[in-house]
Amino acid sequence: MVQQVISMIVLPVIALVIAVFFLGLSRKITARIHRRHGPPLYQPLIDVVKLLTQKENISHGTIFDLGIVLSVAGGLATILFIPAGGLHPLSSSGDFLVVLYLMLLSPLGLALAAGASENPNASIGVSRKFILALGYEVPFLLAALAVMVHFRTTSLVEIVSLQRESLLNWSVFTLPLPALATFLVLPAMLSIRPFDFAGAPQEVASGPLVELGGKYLAFAAIQGALHTYIVLAIFVDLYLGGGANILTFFLKMLAVFFIGVCINGVMPRFRVKQALIYLWKWPAIIAFAGLVIVMWTSR
Amino acid sequence: MDRADIAKTLKSPANWGQKYSLWAVYFCTGCGVIEIPPVITSRWDAERFGVLPMATPRQGNLFLITGYVSLKTMGAIIRTYDQMPDPKYVVGFGSCPVNGGMYWDSYNTIKHLDKYLPVDGWIAGCMPRPEAIFVAVVHLWQMIDKGMATGYQKYKENYEYYERNQREILPHLPKFSGERTEVVGQTL
Repeated sequence: MVQQVISMIVLPVIALVIAVFFLGLSRKITARIHRRHGPPLYQPLIDVVKLLTQKENISHGTIFDLGIVLSVAGGLATILFIPAGGLHPLSSSGDFLVVLYLMLLSPLGLALAAGASENPNASIGVSRKFILALGYEVPFLLAALAVMVHFRTTSLVEIVSLQRESLLNWSVFTLPLPALATFLVLPAMLSIRPFDFAGAPQEVASGPLVELGGKYLAFAAIQGALHTYIVLAIFVDLYLGGGANILTFFLKMLAVFFIGVCINGVMPRFRVKQALIYLWKWPAIIAFAGLVIVMWTSR
Repeated sequence: MDRADIAKTLKSPANWGQKYSLWAVYFCTGCGVIEIPPVITSRWDAERFGVLPMATPRQGNLFLITGYVSLKTMGAIIRTYDQMPDPKYVVGFGSCPVNGGMYWDSYNTIKHLDKYLPVDGWIAGCMPRPEAIFVAVVHLWQMIDKGMATGYQKYKENYEYYERNQREILPHLPKFSGERTEVVGQTL
């Protein structure tokens, strides 16, 4: 019980540290890909400190305030359900389904805040974000269903523990097609290039974030970082066997994230239509084929 | 980070944040903005100074007035400046915002920008090199350290003066709406 309470406090802190570190690392790696020197690794920390200590914070009403709070709280609540290394404070029998629902909470909060700001760019950004979610949810859920059918459980902790015995038990080897499909939609789930049209600065003036400044933007940045952590953690838990401790878990996340940043560094941006066509074509077909094979073999 | 910086940082984290995270507003007023793309991309890489271009005034705290300021852009500049959250810094870039530059006798170019907005610093030259922006940024750091970059406070304290000057040239601005005077006959 005490251990559970401690891990409930420790896990969000660890997640926040990892998420902010990833944010700094992505800027550094992108800079090196561009042959630049890049900012220091702790630059996101400077940015968040600046935004939190800004003297003026412009609000657009109660929904605007509460939407941001909801998005950060949704991110933190999701983290408590995802096993990270040995830490799994709130795991129970159906926690994968809970995670799938809770993951929608933080985009919803941001959408509420963006709607309350009454800026047309924010509305366009939100609608693009939901179209993107519509695109990646189909292959992601098909692949997740394949994993659940294969392991005959909806508990993330059990999925992780069933993969732990040897390297060949990792789902990336036992379920190659769902793993590939999820990897193909990973940039869309992380909203990085080529799927960053929802918050494109050049087209819609950073989309849902357009009216956010000061501490609101700081919380939105924290929420974005937590979202990156959540997506990577789910991928590592489902397909790469989780982690025996927090360090191996972190290293696996780092490997996936590094590939993602490299894709982000060299790709241009899709249009909304192109993204939807891509997401509903190859990843969806591969995920569906994987699901059919799993259904067939586990009969 | 310099070891000398650590004590300063612990004394005032807010100053540390303001200094090393200057987010510039993406607003092109004149030809000077042609120097900005090389500054923020691979060749000169402003990101190592913490300077990033931001797409909206809500997110920015550094306002570069790049190039000459016509009456029409002055209205947009004032609106943008009013939307930025405090603390905010304005830097005039190029010789045109300083004194009109080559448009010194033009009928609709602003010759004295600091009559309408509080300007924290100037970069002279036509055009200034991209390095001049970094000189200006480092100079702005020193001013923030010494508490001299207080243009946004001066704007609030002397708002009547600035508002009178703004209203004189731009009576049709939305923030003066309802008080339309007959100073300017045609719409700008």
